[in-house]
Amino acid sequence: MIHRQGNWRPRGKKSLRRRGMLAFALGGLMVSVVIVVCTYVTARGYLIRQRENSAVRQAYVDASYVREGLLASGVSVADVLSTISPPAGTQVVVHRRGNWFSSGLDVGRSDLSEGVLDAVSRGRPVVSWTSSPDGPALIVGVPLPAANAQFYERSHAGDLSGTLDTLKRVLTGVAAVTAAATALLGRSVARQVMRPLDDVAVAASAIAAGCLDTRLSPTEDPDLVAIVACFNGMADSLQARIEREARFTADVSHELRSPLTTLVAGVELLERRRQDLPERSQQALDLVAAELVRFQQILQDLLELARLDAGANEPKAVVDLRDLVRHTLRGSGRPVELLRSGPGEEAVPVDVSKRQLERALSNLLDNADRHGGGTREVRVSARQGSAFVEIDDAGPGVAPEDRERIFARFARAEGPRGSAGGTGLGLSLVAETLRAHSGAVWCTEAPGAGARFVVRVPLAQEDGSGTDPADGTDPPRAAARGQQPTAVGPIEETGT
Amino acid sequence: MSNGWQHGSVSTRLLVLEDDDGIRTALRLALLDEGYEVVAHARAEQALTELPGGVELMLVDLMLGGMDGFTFIREARHLTDAPIVVVSARTDTHDIVAALEVGADDYVTKPFQIKEICARLRALQRRGRSHPVAASELGGTVLDEQDGVHLTLWPEAGLVRRGEETVHLTVTEFRLLCELAQSPGRVLSRTVLLERIWDQGFFGDERIVDAHIRRLRTKIEQDPGSPRIVVTVRGLGYRLGTV
Repeated sequence: MIHRQGNWRPRGKKSLRRRGMLAFALGGLMVSVVIVVCTYVTARGYLIRQRENSAVRQAYVDASYVREGLLASGVSVADVLSTISPPAGTQVVVHRRGNWFSSGLDVGRSDLSEGVLDAVSRGRPVVSWTSSPDGPALIVGVPLPAANAQFYERSHAGDLSGTLDTLKRVLTGVAAVTAAATALLGRSVARQVMRPLDDVAVAASAIAAGCLDTRLSPTEDPDLVAIVACFNGMADSLQARIEREARFTADVSHELRSPLTTLVAGVELLERRRQDLPERSQQALDLVAAELVRFQQILQDLLELARLDAGANEPKAVVDLRDLVRHTLRGSGRPVELLRSGPGEEAVPVDVSKRQLERALSNLLDNADRHGGGTREVRVSARQGSAFVEIDDAGPGVAPEDRERIFARFARAEGPRGSAGGTGLGLSLVAETLRAHSGAVWCTEAPGAGARFVVRVPLAQEDGSGTDPADGTDPPRAAARGQQPTAVGPIEETGT
Repeated sequence: MSNGWQHGSVSTRLLVLEDDDGIRTALRLALLDEGYEVVAHARAEQALTELPGGVELMLVDLMLGGMDGFTFIREARHLTDAPIVVVSARTDTHDIVAALEVGADDYVTKPFQIKEICARLRALQRRGRSHPVAASELGGTVLDEQDGVHLTLWPEAGLVRRGEETVHLTVTEFRLLCELAQSPGRVLSRTVLLERIWDQGFFGDERIVDAHIRRLRTKIEQDPGSPRIVVTVRGLGYRLGTV
């Protein structure tokens, strides 16, 4: 399985974080809208009432003045009106004995609604809102029965509507800002809350990559104590189980060594005396010998895997990778010419266990023979601090969806069991060996046709081993155990 | 077909020390086939009693009941210089290196094939030289002067002497010294030494060479910590320091 590095979130879906933030923002918006609306309604009502009260007071003052004027004998209504100096925006209309008088030219009977006229003529004072070309206006009607007249005062309320408009705008702005602020607050709160989940995700992927010791650090947060305890408990039991299984496999394989040795030796003895055996016995001996060889190979592979799992210390030495490849080819009876080399090539020094690397390369070559119609060519190269071995075969290649699966234990190619030979462990051994060497192996396409298997090993450092091994102090070799991501996967390279 | 010859028609006396009955029986039969004179024991204490009678090769399992393989080797080395091949189920670094330190010459791990064992035994039996003998080397070569006494190598006689005293080296240690002495001053890599003395070549375990160098130094150097005779050339191998 390729592990994705870094944070991995599905795009386009409503994540927990985003939903939390949205909920926060909506909640904030609703609350602020409610507050704003209530504030506005309350303020508006108050302001209007204030206005009405002051208009009424003013109207009564003016009305009583007009009444006094009208009750004085010999005075005409027009004269009385002319002595009134109403405040700006206020006009007065008086109705007496069927005649209409007003303080200004721009106001008259037509500005008064029927309802108002009707009410006042019945002797009821009235306050009414009306709209004029200049904006809203207040009409106060005061009956003057003593003077047999009706007094109307109209005052403009344009400033009031201006005030209300401004208030509306300000409050809307406040609502918007509040909503935005809550959204931001919501996002940071959501992020805070999600952080422990991120920690859990990081710990889980570390464990999946092989660091079975990873645990969440203890917390005093009472909300998180439960999940930390559960996660650590789960990791403990997983680790114990995995290690138990690994030990069991290792123990079983180990126990099989001695009986297998005896079997192999016995069969070898029999094979020396083949001619003494009757025909059928010879065939039986052949069967036994062949299966025993397979048995032994499987056991060797299992033992090797167990050793790699346990991170056992394997003696390493600095060798030229090309020499290693040449010796591997020669030792397995393959032509050395398979290794393509040109003139003037530099040495490729790597610090490896020769035995394990030879085994890995051998397995890849065997795999090429078995499934790939034979090895076509082998190349060794170095770049960017790493050494590479590329093995191309002459076969049909490996389908992209299979390229990871083939490195799993006992993964088989299609076909009847046992027909292709092999233990099913060869490639997984290669992967584990490379992982133990801080390298990698992967399968890709060879240019032209066929599969290409690429092996990467870090180049040996210049300083090499610091002490003389014959002094008895081996140079320190840390067994890199599970500190690398899985060995099956290409490194990020620009233009491979 | 038989490989147990050494000098003339006398077969080599080989001691097998293995406590697993099946393996011991199989080894005995197979090695008899190869022409060796096989003496097989399951317990180290009994095996030790064979040594005074003369044993030319030994195949020893490390994991034994009672006295273990290491102790046997250590005791055996007081009595004989014969080559010892160690059989081990464990491939732990420490086990193998410890066995080599204590006096073993080579090792195989279980499960092994008889062919492999025979190849190892054969390699260790070779007393012949890998290069033709030069006339000047028929006599002794002085390797070092220690406190006024000469440390001399007599390849033909198979001896190393400090003054009048014989220095006891195992067969393999002696061959190693001879190999270095044949090209004095020239660096021999571990791979080359593995090939010439142990017949193992590129994929041999270099620790075998290192352990033997260590043992050799302990026996012939005046100060094993600052070796003068067998000198390390870092990154390349070993050479005989020219006196």
